[in-house]
Amino acid sequence: MQVVLENLPQILEGLKFTVYYSIVAIILAVIFGLIAALMKLSKSSVLSGFASVYIEVFRSTPLLVQLFFIVFGLTGLLPLNEWFGQRSYPIIAATITLALHEGAYISEIIRAGIQGVDRGQKEAAASIGMTEFLTMRYIVLPQAFKRMIPPLVNQSAQTIKDTSLLAPIGIIDLVYRGQIVIATTFEPFAIWLTIGLIYFILIFSVSQFAGYLERRLQLDNR
Amino acid sequence: MITVENLRKSYGELQILKGISTQISHQEVVVLIGPSGSGKSTFLRCLNGLEKTTNGKIEIAGMELTNPETNIHDLRQHVGMCFQQFNLFKHLTIMENITIGPMKVLKKSKAESEQIARELLKKVGLQNKEQDYPDQLSGGQQQRVAIARALAMKPKVMLFDEPTSALNPEMVGEVLNVMSDLAHEGMTMVIVTHEMGFAREVGDRVLFLDDGYLVEEGTPVEIFERPKEERTKNFLAKVL
Repeated sequence: MQVVLENLPQILEGLKFTVYYSIVAIILAVIFGLIAALMKLSKSSVLSGFASVYIEVFRSTPLLVQLFFIVFGLTGLLPLNEWFGQRSYPIIAATITLALHEGAYISEIIRAGIQGVDRGQKEAAASIGMTEFLTMRYIVLPQAFKRMIPPLVNQSAQTIKDTSLLAPIGIIDLVYRGQIVIATTFEPFAIWLTIGLIYFILIFSVSQFAGYLERRLQLDNR
Repeated sequence: MITVENLRKSYGELQILKGISTQISHQEVVVLIGPSGSGKSTFLRCLNGLEKTTNGKIEIAGMELTNPETNIHDLRQHVGMCFQQFNLFKHLTIMENITIGPMKVLKKSKAESEQIARELLKKVGLQNKEQDYPDQLSGGQQQRVAIARALAMKPKVMLFDEPTSALNPEMVGEVLNVMSDLAHEGMTMVIVTHEMGFAREVGDRVLFLDDGYLVEEGTPVEIFERPKEERTKNFLAKVL
């Protein structure tokens, strides 16, 4: 207990980074996911083909391999460390890779949400002269978004878990900080337990929030 | 106002419309009747391009719909439509449902659009429902809002696709009344309906469709009292 309390500031410093990477990754993932979903639903077979390749590649390979490949593998091909800086390239690349990975799942959530909107809504919009763009922007997406919120919050919980894979590639987060603390205190049980508890509190609250939203949206079913 | 020449529509092998030609003049009220599956709704939906025609020519308000160079969105501004299931925008208030077209498509100001909406809501008898959402309204009220939404675009033609079929019987009248008023104001209307009494009373001309063909057309008196074709007689014997 003593050892946990003494090292708590260090561990919480790691938590700060975990939360930070999670938020950035989720925001980027929603943007990537929305673009991929719209591409996949577009009439152009080139665009929808691109989107399919992206989604399938990122869903069918492990995140850890994706991280190693983009953070370390690509530097063997291009001088990325020189372009972005030795210290910042791994952080930027890892965050974007995480966002691309989550974005692949989010694009499927968004696509299902868009396709779940009643066809009559689109026809009504068309009948008053709205273009495809106006229909998507003002009629389809606002309605799709409501049903997408609970699965998006769940995917955010998943994203928080997945940030723990940033530690093996040397990015400071909750796990990485924990490992440093263990290396100096030789107390793996207490420290890993603490880290597990922190993740649990964080992720459990997010998924409870998703459940709450789901119930709210069912009551308020517009 | 509307010219249809040899209109054909098929889904793969299945032919829905098998060559329909007719003309509808300015301020005319045309009612389409016929058994289900006869192609009435498909015909109507072709008139604003919700269904792509397979063959033939449609001209509406001086624009050739079947010409690929015609901007379909421009054309639809002039052709209002009401659906069987109303299709009000569920996430918008009644006011927003009506103003979204004038604001986003016609680029009118919010104040001007709301002014138009208030006048139309008064006309359909729902001036106190501005801030409600569609699911708080009865079916009859929703359909009246849908009519107001279409009218807010100041269309030259109004299409009605079985506007009372999804309504409880006691609400049919309120919708038909609004439609009669519209007809008396001189709106050009094309109506698909099973309400034969209404067809007779309000229609200037009745078109009887069966199996993708325009079997017979004429004034309500001609069609309902002196039908010439055997198929028309059979159909009327069943529904009247």
